[in-house]
Order: sequence, then C-alpha cells, then structure tokens
Amino acid sequence: MKHTRKILSLLLALMLACSLTIVSAGAETVELPRNETLYFAGQQWGSINGWNPLSDDMNNAMGITQDAGGARTIMYETLYMYNMLDGSLTPLIADGDFVWNDAHTEITVKIKPAAKWSDGTPITAQDVAYTFETNVKLGNAKGNGYKPYVESVTAVDDSTVLIKAMLTDAGVAVNPLQLVCFLEECYVVQKAWIQTLEARCSNDTTAMKNDAAEDVVWSGPYTKYFANDQKVVLIRDDNYWGQDASMWGSLPVPKYIAHVIYADNAAGQSALKAGEVDVCQEFIANVQDLWLKDGLPISTYLNEAPYGICVNMPTAWFNLDIPVLQNASVRKAIAMAVDYDAINQNAMTGQSPTFADVPRSCMNPTAGEQATFDHDAVKDLQWVGNDIEGAKALLEAAGIVDSDGDGWREFNGEKITLNSCCPNGWTDWMAAMEIVAAAGKSIGIEITTEFPEWSVYQTIVTATTQTDYDIFMMWTDSATPAQPWGRIRMMMSSEFIGVEGNWSGNWGHYSNARIDEIIKAIPTTTDATELKNLYTEAVQIYLTDVPSFSLMYRPNKFHAVNESVWTNFPDSTDGRNIPPTDCTDGYGIAALYALELVNP
Amino acid sequence: MKGYRKYFGKKILWLVITFIAALLLNFTLPRMMPGDPVAAMTAKQAQGLSEASAVKAIYDNYAREFGTNKPITQQFFTYVVNLMHGDMGTSFSQYPRKVSNIIGNAIGWTLALQFPAIIIGWLIGNLLGALAAYIRKGFDKVLMPITLFLSSIPAFGMAVMLLVVFAINLKVAPISGGYGFDMLPNFSWNFVVSVIQHYQLPFWSIVLVSIGGQAVGMRSMSIYELNADYVKYARFLGIKDRRVVGYVFRNAMLPQVTGLALSIGTMVGGALVAEIIFSYPGLGTTIYQGITMADYPLISGTTLIITVMVLIATFVLDIIYGFIDPRVKAAQFD
Repeated sequence: MKHTRKILSLLLALMLACSLTIVSAGAETVELPRNETLYFAGQQWGSINGWNPLSDDMNNAMGITQDAGGARTIMYETLYMYNMLDGSLTPLIADGDFVWNDAHTEITVKIKPAAKWSDGTPITAQDVAYTFETNVKLGNAKGNGYKPYVESVTAVDDSTVLIKAMLTDAGVAVNPLQLVCFLEECYVVQKAWIQTLEARCSNDTTAMKNDAAEDVVWSGPYTKYFANDQKVVLIRDDNYWGQDASMWGSLPVPKYIAHVIYADNAAGQSALKAGEVDVCQEFIANVQDLWLKDGLPISTYLNEAPYGICVNMPTAWFNLDIPVLQNASVRKAIAMAVDYDAINQNAMTGQSPTFADVPRSCMNPTAGEQATFDHDAVKDLQWVGNDIEGAKALLEAAGIVDSDGDGWREFNGEKITLNSCCPNGWTDWMAAMEIVAAAGKSIGIEITTEFPEWSVYQTIVTATTQTDYDIFMMWTDSATPAQPWGRIRMMMSSEFIGVEGNWSGNWGHYSNARIDEIIKAIPTTTDATELKNLYTEAVQIYLTDVPSFSLMYRPNKFHAVNESVWTNFPDSTDGRNIPPTDCTDGYGIAALYALELVNP
Repeated sequence: MKGYRKYFGKKILWLVITFIAALLLNFTLPRMMPGDPVAAMTAKQAQGLSEASAVKAIYDNYAREFGTNKPITQQFFTYVVNLMHGDMGTSFSQYPRKVSNIIGNAIGWTLALQFPAIIIGWLIGNLLGALAAYIRKGFDKVLMPITLFLSSIPAFGMAVMLLVVFAINLKVAPISGGYGFDMLPNFSWNFVVSVIQHYQLPFWSIVLVSIGGQAVGMRSMSIYELNADYVKYARFLGIKDRRVVGYVFRNAMLPQVTGLALSIGTMVGGALVAEIIFSYPGLGTTIYQGITMADYPLISGTTLIITVMVLIATFVLDIIYGFIDPRVKAAQFD
C-alpha cells in the first residue's frame, strides 16, 4: 500500500510537470498587460497554420482575411479601405483617389510616398504588380477570383500602378465593379519577400502556398507575436509607416491584439460577459439583455434594434429541379405564408429590420443599396408574410387543391411533400426553417425539416444537381463595391447551373434569359437612370418568379463591445462614419486609433 | 515459463490481428460518412468568390493533393505506407498541418487531465464502495444515494453544472481555457497557479462522475464477496477480520481493475465532453472537430491512438491479472 501511494504521488507529480512542460514550449513573455491589450472573440476558430498572405490555408483570421466586404488590414494592407456604411473607399497604401480612364477600362492608382514595409524599404508599384502575378501563378483564391476581370497589373513607375480590365469582344471591361473590389480586397505583398519565398520553395506553387512564412515582411500596424492552439497574439509595430501625417498621424492605441481560441460561441460570450473579451464578433441572442438586464458595460453599434448594420440576407432557396417547385404559384404561396416577424423574433431575437420596414428585394437594407431601384414599381409584387389566406387563394387559382380531402394539397395527383433544410447546429437558421415548415402546414403543403451536418449539407447544395433538399438555406453576399449587382447574380444567374462544386450562387438552378441579360448589362452601364431601370426590373423578376426568398436581414460582422477596459468604440451617433466591423476590417480599423482606456 | 511464453505468444498474435482489423476500420469507416471534406475545404476559400471556374480550380487542386480522386484501395495503401514512416497524413480541416503535429500538441493536455482524474476517481470510488459494503448502516445509507446520484449524471451535465455554479455564479473558477486568457505560456509561479486553477473544474467534472460508478460497482462486488462461503469459513477458523477483509477486497477488485484498464485505454475519447465544455485544450476537441468536418486523416489518426491505447491496456491487464489472481495464472498455464 505504501508503495502504491508512493508510485501514485510520483505519477501525479510527473503528469503535472509534463503538462507544464508541454504548454511552456516557446515561452517569451509572462502576461499581456490588460490595459495594453484588445481582446477579440468570434474571429479566429481553431489554431493558425502560419502567416503567409499568399496562402488560402493559414486559417489565420486575425492576420489574413481578404474580404470584399472589407479586408482585415492589421498586419497586411490593401490599396484602399472599404466602408460599408457609405460604400466609400479610403486610401491606405494608395495616395488619393484612383482614376478611371475615359473608356472605363483602366484604373490608375498612386502609392503613398510614406508607405513602407516593416524592413524600412518603400512600398512600390512593383510590389502591387508582382503580388497580382504571383496570386495568378499560385492559383490561390485571389488569383483565380480576379483573373477573369483583371487583365494585368503593371508598374508605370515606382509609385504608379496601372490596372487593366479584362475586355469583352466588344472592347468594354468585363466587369468594372470587380476592379474596384480588387483595390480594397487584395493585400499588397513585398516583391522581395515573394522572391525569397520562390527561391526557398524552388518555385513550387504548392510549397509556396504551404509555407508558414515566419520570415514574412508586412506593412500593417501589427505583426505576429505569439500563437499556439489556445491563442494568437499580435504586437504593435512601433515603426509602422502609418503614423506619418499623410495616413493616420499616430499609432493604433492597443499594444497587443489578442484572440483566445474558444471552442464555441458560448465560451466566447461567457468571456465577453466576464470582461475577458473587448470585441465580440458573434451573434448574441437578445444582446440587449446584457446591458438592460445584466447591467454589463456591453454595447452595440446601434443602441436599439436591430443593434447592428444588416448587410446581407440569409435566404431560403427553392430547388427548381423538383417538379412541384417549378410552379411559381407554389413558390410564392409558401413565401407568402411564412411568418417573417416570428423568424425575426425567434431566430434573430429582433436583430433584423422587419420586411415591413425594409420591403424585400435583392438589396440589403443600407440606404445606398435601397436607392438603386424604384420602390413604387415593385410595390404590388411585395408580400409581408403570414398571409395564409392570400397564399391559399394563389394556390386555388393555380389549381393546386386538396382533391382527396386529407387536408394536404396535391400536385399532378400526388400529395405535395417537401423538406426544408439547413445545417445542423446553425440554430438561427434551424429556427427559421421550422417556421417555414409551419407555414407549409397552414396552407396544406406538408413540409418537414431536416438538419444534416454541414459537411454533408454543403456537398449536396453545391452539387451540379440534387433532389435531396427541396427548400434549403444559404447566404447571400454582404456589402461590397460590386453590390447589389453581385447579389442579384448570386440569386438568379443561370451561369452557375451545371457547375460542379458551385459555391457561387443560384443553388436552386433558376433560369431566366432576361435576368441573365440584365446581369450582364449592369456592370458596364454608366447612365444612372438606365442603371436604376435595370435594377428595378431585376427586383420585379425576383419578386414575380420567387426563385428564393430572404428570411431575415443580417450583419456581415457582429460587433458587440465590452467597455470595462477600452472605450470610444464606433457608435452610430458619434458622427465619425467608422463602420462596426470589429475595429479590424476595411475602414473599421480606424477605430483602433481612437480607442481610449476607461481607467488610464 | 514455457506456458507463459505460449500464452503471451498467442496473446500477441491476437493483438496484431486485432490491430490490423482496427486499422482497416479506422481507415474505411470515416470515409463512409456522407459529405465531401474537399468541398468543405473549398468552401472556406470560395466564399466571396463569384467565379465558378475559380472555385472548381481550387477544388481540383485539393482533390489532387489529397488523392481523394484516386480509388479507395490505393488511398489505403498510401495511408499504410505513410503510417509506417510515422506519417498520419495531412489534416483536411486544418490543412496544411500534419495530423501527427495536431495530435502531438493536444495529447499532453488530455493525458494530464484524464490520467490523474481517472486514477483518483477510481481510487476514491472503490474506497467509498468498499467502506459502504463493510461498514454498512448509516454510512451506506448516506453514501449510496449520493453515489447513485453522481453516477446517473451524464458527464456533460456534471461539467455544465460545475461551470454554471463555480465559474459563472460564484466566480471562484475560470470559465474556459487551459490557462489565463491574459497569459502566455512560461515557467513562472503565476502561470503554474493559473494552470492549476483552470485544471480544477474539468478535473472534478470527470472525477465526480467516475466516483459514482466505481463506488456502486465496488459496493455490490464487496457485499457479494463478504457473504461468500470462504469468508464465513475463514471467520470460523478465527482468522483476523483485517486479513479476511484483505482477501475480500482483492477478489472484489478484479472487475474494477478491468474497468480501470479500459477507461485508461479509452480516455482519449472520453475527454471529449469536459474539454469541449471548458474550452480546455486537448484531443477531445480535436476529435470533435475532425468528425464534424469529415476530416478523415484526423479521425483515423485519433481513433488509431485510441485503438493502440485500448490494445495496450488490455494486454497489460492480462499480465497484471496473473499477478492479482492466482486462478487466472493457473488458467494461463493450462
């Protein structure tokens, strides 16, 4: 017994020592001072793989996120910063506004004289050009994504970049809107470092993409400091060029940017409540309870519902490969019967504008997008939802009736049975799909819910054809310079039909020659009236044919802040026009320069 | 000695056969799940990409790299050959990280959490069970309902209860993580204290649940043994009570030792709940992530670890049995 006790205590001590040794690998600093560190949640999931801005596989959300809705410019920088509030582009590496040529086929961008790399060398037009060439050569997401629109990026001289659009046979740019996105979405990477990488990897494209880039040269205000499976920390680069008067005029306030890697939303939100997180990019049900009931110093961009800037619409798509759903009356009847207010209350806990406030279209609720089409012209096509009688009348008129008296309607002599699907665990979507199913029941169409795992769901939804899911949810594009055109294309363009592994849109396989023409015409239309007519017609087609129907409006980035340590976060009433993009994305990074300590 | 050699030879042979069968299952079963992990990887890059051909190019690139476009038999042989070189493959969900690197970073945490928790839970549980059987009366009446209650709480229930009571309401324990949210790993007293603080809740959530099960089992076994004929006979002979009790518990212990060995073998899988609820680093979350993302190499890698540990545990058990129970040793020689 004595022996056993000895052995056991030895074992226990050994285990503890082991665990300490394991976690101690790579130790540098002891603690991050709380009043010098800005903590995040909801951006980084899982551990990072490295810092390579040319790779799509670094899983390094804080360091590398190139998104047309606003690239994350903490460590790497873009030419411009997008502001979703007004659609404006603010120069970052670029000097002043970009200039189109008269034919609208070329953009000229100047580089700021003050812009420098972390090694002190100036950022040049050659860096911009070489980054684009490398992206295309590597076949990464940015290279493949922009190849169809950007013919070339060249350096006219050290500080002048010329971006030429890919032209159609008619000699016009394939899509000028995408050229603008290019300016605010794609990082500029140092040419000299790319060449070092090429040499190290013997020009092997896979090796280049998989390189962790520990020696990378950056241009942003922060750089890598620490990363393991539990957290990732960036440290301010006090030599950052942006403190020049021609840019920010100062350094960002927090010395450290830290993101603890939480297992799930619940863990991140517990930490937010405990004051361990300052900025939380997670959907928080009944977010207002945090300050109204719990009295916590937590706030959102808007002080009242919907609390955030909603810029996209999670949407239910009808599978048009299913015969009964090829009938527009059935589609519209289901859409009319759905109780959208209940979805807003249950799935979004009121954090979405209602469809009475912002009637449905292909546009998000921002003023800019709402102004693109004629609201009166589509008024008669609108529906508010929960219109059971209207939906029933529409079905009756279309001859979709319950002829055998069992309470369910038939189509071609057979009872209509549909399913409504979304990925398991996506609780807000699941709540919405339950309400869609309930709507079906109320108009005599049997709809059952199915919630497969995401890995299964996405394989089926993106397949060339599928008959597994009848009504299913997917997202739509958020605000970018290419919107609302990009979203209309996503919702209705027939170019995505028959594509294997289709992540681009039109998952219900809707086809309409006229909408294809409109989608083609919008990017090259410069006349404002004509553009408005095209957008209006697109909305008319969408509301008439109902290939899909949006269930709610939603922010691209959730933005809840705890002001127990830091304050002066962007607020809708402060007049600063800084978007609520978590102090990191697009022009939202301006917030980092204005933060103040609650207790200095 | 010859008997031993024959016995262990046979055991090892079966061990190898089981291992090969398990390897085959480890490889094929994850791949029979519906869903396409390459599509999931593509999805991460494709969001925001509007060009269908660009998405297709990304997909093809990954499919080629992972060889998922090749026949499954060819994939299996590649897997086995790589495994012989200590290469468990590249993770789908954490590409381009190696599975061995992911497991290597996580397993230390899991072992450090699970191993002491299982041992201590087992010791306390058995001690309480044995005492309940021996003392009976008041002790048993109080202890039995408590242990029954503990053993009937599912592991996640216990973890959530501890989290809500001690971390969220009483605020005496940290909510999540393996160490302080504001700390970086280092050799300092503060850091050690932080690790120990974060260790408490996940540790006790495992210990409390296992105490219940062990105590109930040990109590029943002990009561059975206490009423056995040999005990009565020993008492008639006037052998000291202490000595008799020693025999009794040695016999009652046998099934409990089996349970211990198996729970040590399966501890990697058992770590899942506590680790997820407390956002505690370790293999549990890794397995969970692997399964939800249909990450075949990661699932195969982690299940392989579990398989090997169970095989080793049962093998060691066979040896230990011989020492604890002479009857088994006798059987081994037959």
